[in-house]
Amino acid sequence: MTDEFHTMTVLIVEDDALVRMHGVGIFEDAGFRVLDADSADEALVILSDGGKIHLMFSDVDMPGTMDGLALARVVHERWPRIHLLMTSGHHRLRDDDVPGPGRFVPKPWQANGLLDEARALIQA
Amino acid sequence: MSDPDTPAIAAATTIDFEALFETAPCGYLVSDRDGRLVRVNRTFAGWLGVTPDDLRGRRLPDLLTVAGKIFYETHFAPTLRMQGRLDEVALELVAADRRRLPVLVNANTNEGDADADRQVRFAVFLAAGRRGYEQDLLDARDRAQATIVSERADSELREQFIAVLGHDLRNPLASINSGLHLLARETLSARGTKVTELMSGSVLRANALIDNVLDFARGRLGGGITLAYDAHTPLEPMLQQVVSELRSIAPAQSIVTHFALHEPISCDHVRIGQLLSNLLGNALTHGAKDQPVRVDATTSLGELVIAVSNGGTPIPEAVLERLFQPFYRGHDRVRQGLGLGLHIASEIALAHGGTLVARSDAVATTFIFTMPLAN
Repeated sequence: MTDEFHTMTVLIVEDDALVRMHGVGIFEDAGFRVLDADSADEALVILSDGGKIHLMFSDVDMPGTMDGLALARVVHERWPRIHLLMTSGHHRLRDDDVPGPGRFVPKPWQANGLLDEARALIQA
Repeated sequence: MSDPDTPAIAAATTIDFEALFETAPCGYLVSDRDGRLVRVNRTFAGWLGVTPDDLRGRRLPDLLTVAGKIFYETHFAPTLRMQGRLDEVALELVAADRRRLPVLVNANTNEGDADADRQVRFAVFLAAGRRGYEQDLLDARDRAQATIVSERADSELREQFIAVLGHDLRNPLASINSGLHLLARETLSARGTKVTELMSGSVLRANALIDNVLDFARGRLGGGITLAYDAHTPLEPMLQQVVSELRSIAPAQSIVTHFALHEPISCDHVRIGQLLSNLLGNALTHGAKDQPVRVDATTSLGELVIAVSNGGTPIPEAVLERLFQPFYRGHDRVRQGLGLGLHIASEIALAHGGTLVARSDAVATTFIFTMPLAN
């Protein structure tokens, strides 16, 4: 447990409930305030509420009108200050594939590896 | 041969050529130099269901199918003009009742005569049986080819199916894995902790199996193994992680590691992790359970070397040679999975410009992966 991230808010977007809860757990343990959404559409509703969000952590493959990469492009366009961290078990993206100065972390996650990526993004 | 027969033979040799021409067991046709039929025997006319007189003045191509007409004009007639003869040409006649009669035609010209008198003589043989036989052969060939094409399509479909299935199986596995992580954060009894650990190991094994099957199907579908090179991130944490994952699957067995990775290594970290996981999984499954499995990873002389060795009964030379073939499962059929692990490991080695070899003696069985540090 650390208070390194205690002023930070992360939005986790993941359609699988258990995987989402796992991600929420990792970020909460690290001190983040965590919001979560099960689709790109729900994520956009949360983002539009106007609360301060520092980091969006999103899966690539998701059902609905938009997949994670399309969501990332919209977020980068409308809220360019939000850091983007993408994840997938199927696709192996390069950091360059993520809009803006985003990053990619493959599934399954290791808690430390995931937080290292988040730290690198936020401190950049 | 006796004398009394001789007059009889002599008598028989007095042949009625007119009758022979008209009723010979083949069709006879004579045309003038323009191709108009001047004489047709009764045998030929009978096949077509007409009289010889009906045919006089007509041309041979008039009696043929459309394809035959074209062949006659473009090939048959010119060749005959140039060479003076033509043998065993397969054509189809069209009878008065529209029936088609497959025939073989021989033709020659009466050389030496004045051009104006030049005639073409045709001998025509019914070839229904022979043509039927040829057609059967062609049909059989077409059927065989159709079978090959359909089997290829089937096998491609099967491999696509495997790829899709493997892909989709990852989702529920990821879900179970996350559930286990969540449970591990709860206060569990000793038994609960043990159960979640074992379940994590099972998820790990299932994922490794899916990785191997997907790589194999992808290879068969022509995709091959693609690499994402990374020369900056240290490799050791990936190797440590693989070792600790496999320790959790086989907690009773001892794994001794020695890492001396002092130079940057340009490789695909996930793939090298998969290679080590396959080798280590193999060693834990087949090695003697009371002897440690050793993992050695070093960089020296411009190369990365990862060696995994286990004790136990030596592997015979003949088996060693076949270990890297897909679906090869040695003699130990019950314990093993699909037999893809070593095959995929060697494919990963190959993709990195490296090698994977196996040595086995009474002391140890060792798999040695070697690759250049720079790609």
